[in-house]
Amino acid sequence: MPEPLNSSTRINLERATVLVLDDNGPSLDILSGVVSGFGVRTLHRAESVKDAQALIKIHTFDLIISDVQMPEVDGYEFIQWLRREGPETNRYVPVILVTGHTRTAQVFKNRDAGSNFTVAKPITPKVLLERIFWVAREERAFIECDTYVGPDRRFKHEGPPVGTDGRRKDDLQGDVGDAQEPNMSQDEINSLMKIAKVQI
Amino acid sequence: MTVRKFRPPNRLAAMIKDRGGILAKDAIAAAEANVETLRDSSLAALDEALEGIEARFGATAPGRAGEDFETLYTMTLKIIDVAGFAADAGVDEAAVSLCALVDGCADAGVWRWDAVDVHLSALRLLRNVGASLPADQRRGMLDGLHKVAQR
Repeated sequence: MPEPLNSSTRINLERATVLVLDDNGPSLDILSGVVSGFGVRTLHRAESVKDAQALIKIHTFDLIISDVQMPEVDGYEFIQWLRREGPETNRYVPVILVTGHTRTAQVFKNRDAGSNFTVAKPITPKVLLERIFWVAREERAFIECDTYVGPDRRFKHEGPPVGTDGRRKDDLQGDVGDAQEPNMSQDEINSLMKIAKVQI
Repeated sequence: MTVRKFRPPNRLAAMIKDRGGILAKDAIAAAEANVETLRDSSLAALDEALEGIEARFGATAPGRAGEDFETLYTMTLKIIDVAGFAADAGVDEAAVSLCALVDGCADAGVWRWDAVDVHLSALRLLRNVGASLPADQRRGMLDGLHKVAQR
């Protein structure tokens, strides 16, 4: 997993070209103000998916931040279009979705849209910068198949749920139980790290 | 089904590490300063959205029974969008609770007007005096709203 963002971490977004999409003007202003504050100099704003699609066809973006609930075409459908039909230069760009609320019926749609992250509104600069830093540093593979195009959704590697065997042969058990032996001493740990000659 | 797994280049990853740039704390401070300039207009938008909801969905609104779920849901999202400026009053959380309530009503296909009324009264109260309420009272009120929404 990528390292967390610290206040002393140096970030450089001067060369980044960013698209922010939100149909609500005041919300778009807030998003734009936040992203500009992060040092982004080339920022494109769109108030509809149609406008965003037009921009995507003529510019190459390094990051897209999109609202979810929009009239006619929503953010999920926009990302699905981007991942499947968008220009090659933008198809794999990191996408952060922002939403005030996720409808129960849309939980799976959110999961399957192909975004890198979903952030809850109202957004705060700190949280958004942490997520931007996270998507910039993550090393997730991309998956392309009939039913999904986007970053690999299995990235936590926490093993199957407790009490189940998992579906893969190499799944680790989620429930490791209590420790059976005392903790190792520091010397024992160090000895595991020691370089030793081996005979081949 | 064919599954292709690959690692496309991440341009953002390359440029965020470029020389120069700014400290994260300074980036956050600059973003907060930019957002602060939007306080008045955002709170005006919040008040406008709340008034619009009360006019169409309030207890005395004449035609509320004929309104659809989507309208109230969408209008409430507009409150959440700018509610960061009223987060200390709990307005953001109350609006999220109202969205959850309306989502539940939409799933069931039936309005729960008593619960809607409670949420609208709470939103108005929180908007007016929420920031000055003792924290435990505000917390209790928000927890109560969540319970009402989930019932």
